[in-house]
Amino acid sequence: MTQRADEPSDEQLMTNVDGPGVEVALSKLYDRYSRTVFGVGLKILSDRSMAEELVQEVFLKVWRSARTFDSSRGSFSTWLYRVTRSVALDLYRKRARRVRPVSDGDPHLDSARDPSAGPQEVVDESWLSWQVSRALEVLDAPHREVIDLAYFGGLSQREISERTGMPLGTVKTRTASAYKSLRKELAVQDTSLEATR
Amino acid sequence: MKCAEVHPDLATFVLGGLEPEEAAEIRHHLDSCPDCQSELQELRKVNRALEAAPPPAAPPAYLKGEILSRVRAEWLPPSSKAGATEASSSLEEQRRSHRTSRFNRFKDLRIVLPSAAAAALVAVMALGVFFGFLREEPPVATIQLIPTPQEAAGLKGYWGVAEIRPQPSGNQQVELKLNNFDEPETNSYYELRFVSGDKRISAGSFTSVGKGETRVLLNVPPEASNYHTLLITEERVGKGPAPGREVALEGDMP
Repeated sequence: MTQRADEPSDEQLMTNVDGPGVEVALSKLYDRYSRTVFGVGLKILSDRSMAEELVQEVFLKVWRSARTFDSSRGSFSTWLYRVTRSVALDLYRKRARRVRPVSDGDPHLDSARDPSAGPQEVVDESWLSWQVSRALEVLDAPHREVIDLAYFGGLSQREISERTGMPLGTVKTRTASAYKSLRKELAVQDTSLEATR
Repeated sequence: MKCAEVHPDLATFVLGGLEPEEAAEIRHHLDSCPDCQSELQELRKVNRALEAAPPPAAPPAYLKGEILSRVRAEWLPPSSKAGATEASSSLEEQRRSHRTSRFNRFKDLRIVLPSAAAAALVAVMALGVFFGFLREEPPVATIQLIPTPQEAAGLKGYWGVAEIRPQPSGNQQVELKLNNFDEPETNSYYELRFVSGDKRISAGSFTSVGKGETRVLLNVPPEASNYHTLLITEERVGKGPAPGREVALEGDMP
């Protein structure tokens, strides 16, 4: 979800999570990050119900551990990634002790993960997934739409134009602009990589 | 072609979304333009990064409400805490008066609907009209399952709900979501019962995983819509069809 300039920052919201404004603050953080946590969860766990459990556990942990967040040590996004990684690894190990899930034909799950990868390997790869997801989340809706249709939907620019009614030139301009934003955002996020170690 | 004409199309070129003749023109220009080649490499990095993108999926809509409900249940502002304590005592007294021990709890069951204050405490959350005619998710009713005092003493981090969903067949599907609900004792299992006065309908038996979340799907026949109390009892294997006497959890319909 794109954050408007006049809205409180993640870090400001975190100060409210540990107080009477908890519901509003947690709700806003959920709106901003739940898709990323869920998507990365699907990627790591390849199991929709466990990814849902992950989302639940992560946001409850955000609330319960709000006091451990220190904005001087890194961004909220980086902190939340570490929380997500930790919870996901716990769930991954928990699942490993159970029966291995069988794909139910859900395309999101079928493409989610290489089944031969080990837990640490999968979780380590998740930082890039997190970064890309965050970069996509900060795109505004029109730019996100062209990327979703082109990259995830596999549509040509002409097909996007026909489907959305946008002039072909607009589709191209938005695609170029979206790539420019993604490039910039990924470069910014890459600088916080060390904070996840 | 000039660089200014090529640049806007490079992202689309990387995505493979250009028409063949447009792509050919771009390739021709790239052969002799180091600047555009450099730009192309940067865009390909973005494309490679997108390969790591998680699937564009969102969690189910009800999840946010569940999380906030749990926060609400665990976190009460000081002013509410005083009221809650008072209500808790009131409920506790009511419950004590209706049972002498965990083992004869079922026999002595008389309470069905607690007082208004107690009802607020048990936090029964109506999400719609119970047992309406909706055929799709979300659930038409969510019932908070409260541990009996004896059970509560040994539970840490417990919470539990039963979600009711009418099925096309007329049956009611009950989804139990129980967190940190202890495993039954050896040679025992849990059973979910719908209760109305002296009448009971069993929805089926299950066990729990103990630490973490247990999810169970059970079904009850349509007539259970008139049974307004839910009980989860602990049963012993080999005791026959007699109703269980160890009530672990209970909840009332809104």
